[in-house]
Amino acid sequence: MRDAFSGYHPAVNFIFFLSVLGFGVVILHPAFLVAGIVGALSYFLLLHGGKGLKRIAMMLPLFLAVILLNPLVNRDGATILFQVFGIPYTLEALVYGAVLSGMFLTMILWFSCYSNLMTGDKFTSLFGNLIPSLSLLLVMIFRMVPSLIRKGKQITGARQSIGKEMSGTDEAMTVLGCLITWALEGSIVTADSMRSRGYGTSKRTSFMIYRMAKRDWGLLSAIFVLSAALIAVISAGHTTATFTPEWYLAPISPIGLLLYGFLSLIPTLLHLQEALVWHISRSRI
Amino acid sequence: MAHFQIQNLTFSYAAAKNKRSLDDVSLTIEKGEYIVLCGKSGSGKTTLLKHLKSVLTPSGKRSGAILFNGTPMEQVSQRDQSSKIGYVMQNPDDQIVTDKVWHELAFGLESLGCDQKTMRARVAEMACYFGIQDWFHRDVANLSGGQKQLLNLASIMAMQPEVLILDEPTSQLDPIAASDFLNTVRKINIELGTTVIITEHRLEDIFPYADRAVVMDGGKVIADDTPRNIGKLLWEQKNDMFTAMPTPVRVFYGADGNGDCPLTVREGRNWLSKSFPEGAKVNALPVQELPDEIENPALVLKELWFRYEKNSPDILRGVSAEVPAGSLYAIVGGNGAGKSTALKAICGICKPYRGKVKIFGKPIEKYKSTELFQSCLAMLPQDPKSLFVAKTVREELEEMTKDQAKISEIAATCEIENLLNSHPYDLSGGEQQRAALAKVLLTQPKLLLLDEPTKGIDSFFKEKLAKILCKLKEQGITIVMVSHDVEFCAKYADAVSMFFDGQVLTTDTPRRFFGNNSFYTTAANRMSRHVFSMAVTAEDVVNLYRENRHG
Repeated sequence: MRDAFSGYHPAVNFIFFLSVLGFGVVILHPAFLVAGIVGALSYFLLLHGGKGLKRIAMMLPLFLAVILLNPLVNRDGATILFQVFGIPYTLEALVYGAVLSGMFLTMILWFSCYSNLMTGDKFTSLFGNLIPSLSLLLVMIFRMVPSLIRKGKQITGARQSIGKEMSGTDEAMTVLGCLITWALEGSIVTADSMRSRGYGTSKRTSFMIYRMAKRDWGLLSAIFVLSAALIAVISAGHTTATFTPEWYLAPISPIGLLLYGFLSLIPTLLHLQEALVWHISRSRI
Repeated sequence: MAHFQIQNLTFSYAAAKNKRSLDDVSLTIEKGEYIVLCGKSGSGKTTLLKHLKSVLTPSGKRSGAILFNGTPMEQVSQRDQSSKIGYVMQNPDDQIVTDKVWHELAFGLESLGCDQKTMRARVAEMACYFGIQDWFHRDVANLSGGQKQLLNLASIMAMQPEVLILDEPTSQLDPIAASDFLNTVRKINIELGTTVIITEHRLEDIFPYADRAVVMDGGKVIADDTPRNIGKLLWEQKNDMFTAMPTPVRVFYGADGNGDCPLTVREGRNWLSKSFPEGAKVNALPVQELPDEIENPALVLKELWFRYEKNSPDILRGVSAEVPAGSLYAIVGGNGAGKSTALKAICGICKPYRGKVKIFGKPIEKYKSTELFQSCLAMLPQDPKSLFVAKTVREELEEMTKDQAKISEIAATCEIENLLNSHPYDLSGGEQQRAALAKVLLTQPKLLLLDEPTKGIDSFFKEKLAKILCKLKEQGITIVMVSHDVEFCAKYADAVSMFFDGQVLTTDTPRRFFGNNSFYTTAANRMSRHVFSMAVTAEDVVNLYRENRHG
């Protein structure tokens, strides 16, 4: 799936996710929560399509459980609805549970988008210049894990066809031993290959496949400005929300809400903008 | 000034003090030369190559000297060595360090600390020269073996080396990918003037183009001459290495030909044309046909369909075949045609969603899995390493049975008695193959499946393997083999099937099968088809030549 936001520099992607995840944890005000969910959900659906809906539906019981079980743990509420096993079940705690599960939903949605966008190579390219050896280590691990899984399958297949069924811990240990020997043998070759290409002869540099273009700087500064403004809104107390023992919600600040909504909707808006541009240029042809 | 000068180099590994891996080797390599290093496995080729790049040089006792551009090797800086001497190894997979194609191309440059601008230019240049643009952003894991090896070559060439050393670079590749790779190496030599030093089993593709061939045996250089003279020399010495020579060379000397020895199929054709003018009556070899009905076939496949996932394309698309008991049945075909998957379907690792597999007349589902793999069916996987779990070959075999008499018997059949106390990973490719085969044979199969048994094995070991397979056939074992190696199938198989597009398209005796093909056939057939019909091996051509010239 082609997506406009993922075409930006990984650093921009990364900082965006850092910022929305940060605000998502800090802000509990229901109005802001809804704005955040709208932004995250719309982008999540753009990335995953119909399958995404199914995945959210599967998570619903979890959210429901958080809402319903919170009052059993959190007993500070003032308005007692009824008693369960002698525990007061309060309205405030129930609402707090709903807010918490809304926060979880936002987090899960953003993380899902994050893992879709930030592939291993994007992530390592961020730190390539800062910590070259660590980033190389990560790259090698990214490569090693799937290759070990493939080799493991090969070994179990080969053993199956000489009558060694995969059952019991003994057999699993044998396969593991075989896998380790094989991998070690391979790593000697890899080490030779690295040394013969000058690894360790001088200070490593990193090849940057991604370049910060003008639009990347533009978007990055937009994210920074929005975040700074939001921090100001938060410190002014416009997003304060407490639920127990009695709830208090700060009066809604339209500017703050607008800022947060806009920040959360950035990927979706970029996506729509691109779709629109293509639509127009195609209709011109 | 010579590029490399090796003077009286003698070397023995630290572990084996009295055995000399290199014995008084002296060799001069000029700039821009293309040199083929040949010799049996264990003749010291790899050891010699590793001495040409000191980060790879093994530890042990050494005397003599190696000069690179006139400077002793020890005094050449690490940095100069890394960039000026490129080294491509055998295994395409293990040489790759990173997970993305672009990153791998840049790896050497990153290590040398190049700046962004230089790296960008070099990487772009390499991607274009090697035709990598289309898969520049791909994950390394999704590349084919041929692409991986090309990537290894390109990422070394990005450092602009003066010399390229290649240690059996195509042993793990299929023939088409292998000849693509070797053509690229030749292109680098011709267009860039890079010195090339290469060891190879597949001499057909490189022998004609090499400036010099150096033959090694027991750590000594026994011949160093032009390829044409080397053929003659080995023939006169009755050297074992002669079996590795390209088909035209073997035919020429086998038939006592006169004139210049042909090196390529084209030269071979011309030489035969001269010997047999057009219109001359030529005797042909007798051609056998396959029987129409096979009685009590060992294996029957009926309309097998298989795919790995519900939404993925079908790999097997109606495979049907019958394998007569006690025969060596070969399945040939291109890469990714589904040959290996067919083998997996036969032994039940892949379950076809339609169709039937019958083994000795009984459907595979009717066998209990313990029953199927005990004294009935077994498969030798493509990579023998996937079977090795122990510290010595003997323990490897003891995993299968405790019966020492049985172990000695099988070890004798596979000719690995002298390897029983070695670690499986210390063996050469051909030896590993035989050790794995021994392990598989200890299940006492009546039907043996082999997946690419000749992969990465030199001609000498191939003949050994062929002998073992013949012995097994005499014991009544049915062998089904999947292979890219048309020469091997033509020489030893009883029936050959063409696998294409998920189906078995034709089945015939090797002579009729390869005799009727004009592209997908052996070098001997391509060389002789305008004079002799149905000659598919070098021996066929030699026999026909002698019969027709002197008869």
